[in-house]
Amino acid sequence: MENIKILKGFKPRLAGMPDISVIQAEAPETIAVPAMDIPYIRPRLLVKENDLVKTGTPLFCDKRNNCIVYTSPGTGIVKQIVFGKRRRLKEVVIALDKKDDFIRFETLPRDSINTIPKSKIVKLLQEGGLWQSFREFPFKDTAGENRRPPMIIVSLNGNDPFSPHPEVVLENNKDYFEFGIKLLKRFSEQIIITSRKSSLEKLNKFKNHITHIVPDFYPAWDPGVVLYYLKKFPAENHSWCISVQHLILVAKFLLTGIYPVKRIITVTRPNNKKPHVVTRQGAPVKDLVGSLDDNLFITTGRFNGRAVGRESHMGFFENTLALIPDNQKEVLFGFIQPGLTKPTASRTFLSCLTRAPKTLDCNLHGEERACINCGYCTNICPNDLAPSFIMKALSSDDIEDALSYGLLDCCRCGLCSYACPSKIELTEILSHGMDAHYKDKE
Amino acid sequence: MNPFKQLIDSAEKHFTGSGKLKMLEPLFDATKTFFFFPSHRTRHIPFARDSLDLKRFMSFVIISLLPVLVFGIYNTGFQEGLARGESYSFGHAFLLGSKYVIPIIIVSYAVGFFWEILFASIRKHKISEGLLVTGLLFPLTLPATIPLWQVALGISFGVVIGKEVFGGTGRNFLNPALTGRAFLFFSYPVSMSGGVWVTAKSAVDGISGATALSVLAPEGEKISSALSNSGFTLSKLFFGFVPGSIGETSALLCILGALFLIITRIANFRIIIGGIAGLIVTSVIFYLVPGHSDSWMHAGPLYHLCAGGFLFGISFMATDPVSAPGTNPGRWIFGFLIGFLTITIRVANPAFVEGTMLAILFMNVFAPLLDYGVIKYKASKRIPNV
Repeated sequence: MENIKILKGFKPRLAGMPDISVIQAEAPETIAVPAMDIPYIRPRLLVKENDLVKTGTPLFCDKRNNCIVYTSPGTGIVKQIVFGKRRRLKEVVIALDKKDDFIRFETLPRDSINTIPKSKIVKLLQEGGLWQSFREFPFKDTAGENRRPPMIIVSLNGNDPFSPHPEVVLENNKDYFEFGIKLLKRFSEQIIITSRKSSLEKLNKFKNHITHIVPDFYPAWDPGVVLYYLKKFPAENHSWCISVQHLILVAKFLLTGIYPVKRIITVTRPNNKKPHVVTRQGAPVKDLVGSLDDNLFITTGRFNGRAVGRESHMGFFENTLALIPDNQKEVLFGFIQPGLTKPTASRTFLSCLTRAPKTLDCNLHGEERACINCGYCTNICPNDLAPSFIMKALSSDDIEDALSYGLLDCCRCGLCSYACPSKIELTEILSHGMDAHYKDKE
Repeated sequence: MNPFKQLIDSAEKHFTGSGKLKMLEPLFDATKTFFFFPSHRTRHIPFARDSLDLKRFMSFVIISLLPVLVFGIYNTGFQEGLARGESYSFGHAFLLGSKYVIPIIIVSYAVGFFWEILFASIRKHKISEGLLVTGLLFPLTLPATIPLWQVALGISFGVVIGKEVFGGTGRNFLNPALTGRAFLFFSYPVSMSGGVWVTAKSAVDGISGATALSVLAPEGEKISSALSNSGFTLSKLFFGFVPGSIGETSALLCILGALFLIITRIANFRIIIGGIAGLIVTSVIFYLVPGHSDSWMHAGPLYHLCAGGFLFGISFMATDPVSAPGTNPGRWIFGFLIGFLTITIRVANPAFVEGTMLAILFMNVFAPLLDYGVIKYKASKRIPNV
């Protein structure tokens, strides 16, 4: 096990860290496959409203590659197909039947993993709607099946500081996990498995598999950050990554031949150690958060998730619900208060002297101003980017400069926007820059 | 509900939408957000944001300036007392000083805000907090005897030509306060040099009202002894009981302000430390050059550090993030060269006894070039990702 030395990131302790107890969620009445959390997808629907679907029936595919399908995580009737602005597919909602009816896929014998042709594995995973678990850098797009990635990074921790604890995910899944690692070795020579330092003590059974340890602050465990610190050659920019939960799903699918529907997610709210929840993929948000009396804002990751309404459902890639307090109070002379409890990356609040856990809320804490070149974004960027300079290059349409400054190394962790005292939407600007470049290349 | 909040809310309709005073919306908005900190919900990722904003950022610069300001007011009165050959109590000196200094600050803020509001109204953007700092920094660089119309002219030049024509706060490449001062310095040299630094005509022999930097030793005498003979001992220069611009005289309080800014990380320590290092290295080199023991060339680092406006400039002016480089190596070079240029100008060009202002403005111009060099170098070290 090697330590990766990462110095920059979000260091304050946060209130509400979930413990590792697990509760079983009640079976939901509806589930859905949202398209909003899937990067760059151009969906083509394969079902109509009121169609009958089984668990494993393809609901929509990606027009860029028709082999990539998103399958139904439940059996029932397509209740509604929800479109957003400009008829963009938001989600396909399914009203569940009492009983699951699985589509049977071909299974792989456990000991054949080293001999079976790779193309067959790919084909099976694509049919089963799990190939997209592999994501390819630099855009974190669905992995190209014909490429041989120089490195595959498996992150044991999710996108949020409070994503499910790897111990909870791996428990009773040791076989699948080890099968998954063997599978990855068919695709690449270099398999990187990283864990947060704090997760390690409960992972004794898996320690021999973990190759790298990362520090315990966000976003050190993000595969994009890990890649930045490990890569030595430009070719490694096209490495792949997969989350541990998806790796287990892939292994389960190949060994059992049915689409695995169970997911472990965390629902975190301030000052409440809400444990992990076992539920079905695509469970409705309103079932998971319960009744909300507080004014809470629901996201699938406080730094880099998406905002979801109570009527939405959990996405294929999402495994956490972060409930952020939303108190829009205007405080008299708010800009000059001592701030004993305010979380900050600066040293301008008394809170920087205490180690007490802080609560993040979803207010801007100020108004947007021009960039004053203060360098707070550079000081917090885990991948050593200078977001303000990239932002300036992008706003003058100088994509070449932006790329040479390292735009594609951006892992969209959101910390530059977080730290900016001028409240500039740096992450959004950089993200748009990357997306524009992606479309150019296409 | 707070009655003051009610008043603001009831006035809002006149300034927004189709209200009669729509033109003055930026002014209303600035007032409202000054009293009631706005709290909008985030619209994009990340959904959580840092508690620091630009209002607080700029307020911290103001806080760091307060000791310098209070002492500057006191010293103005104190110097007048010295010149009259009387000894004033602290209260008396402070009141006397306020009579000179407060009007200068009021004029600076009033005229500065006039331009800021005018440009914000025309451009339809919000009033930026940058002027809070500029409007206080500018008076502190002036002599207390400055005519008020020149203050108005200077801040106008600083705000309009130094900042607004480039697009406002964040887009200026020169420090607006120093731009205003440079304008006055070159346009009205009579108000900015010689014996203007003390508010009363001298009734006592040996007090000229000039600053330490204009002292020249007679043939054969050392500069340090000439300085002490003129009343500029090192301790006086360090504590600041000497004539000079309102804010610049006390080295001690400038260091205090700088420490506050460094600890709160509002100012970048690299600029300040780099600047002091540059000053020390350069002054030592000049000190080692043989001969010239009668000029400032031979004054050594301590006198150079404590005399004139160097510490004020490097702590509060050079650390203005907008006109300084945005990269760390750039900041070191920027600071170091300010120190180097300050000494070089002081020693090599007797026409400008105070080199700090010119050194900072000169380096402001070079800041983008430093950034460019550093960014290009760093980009060349990255593993290319295109």
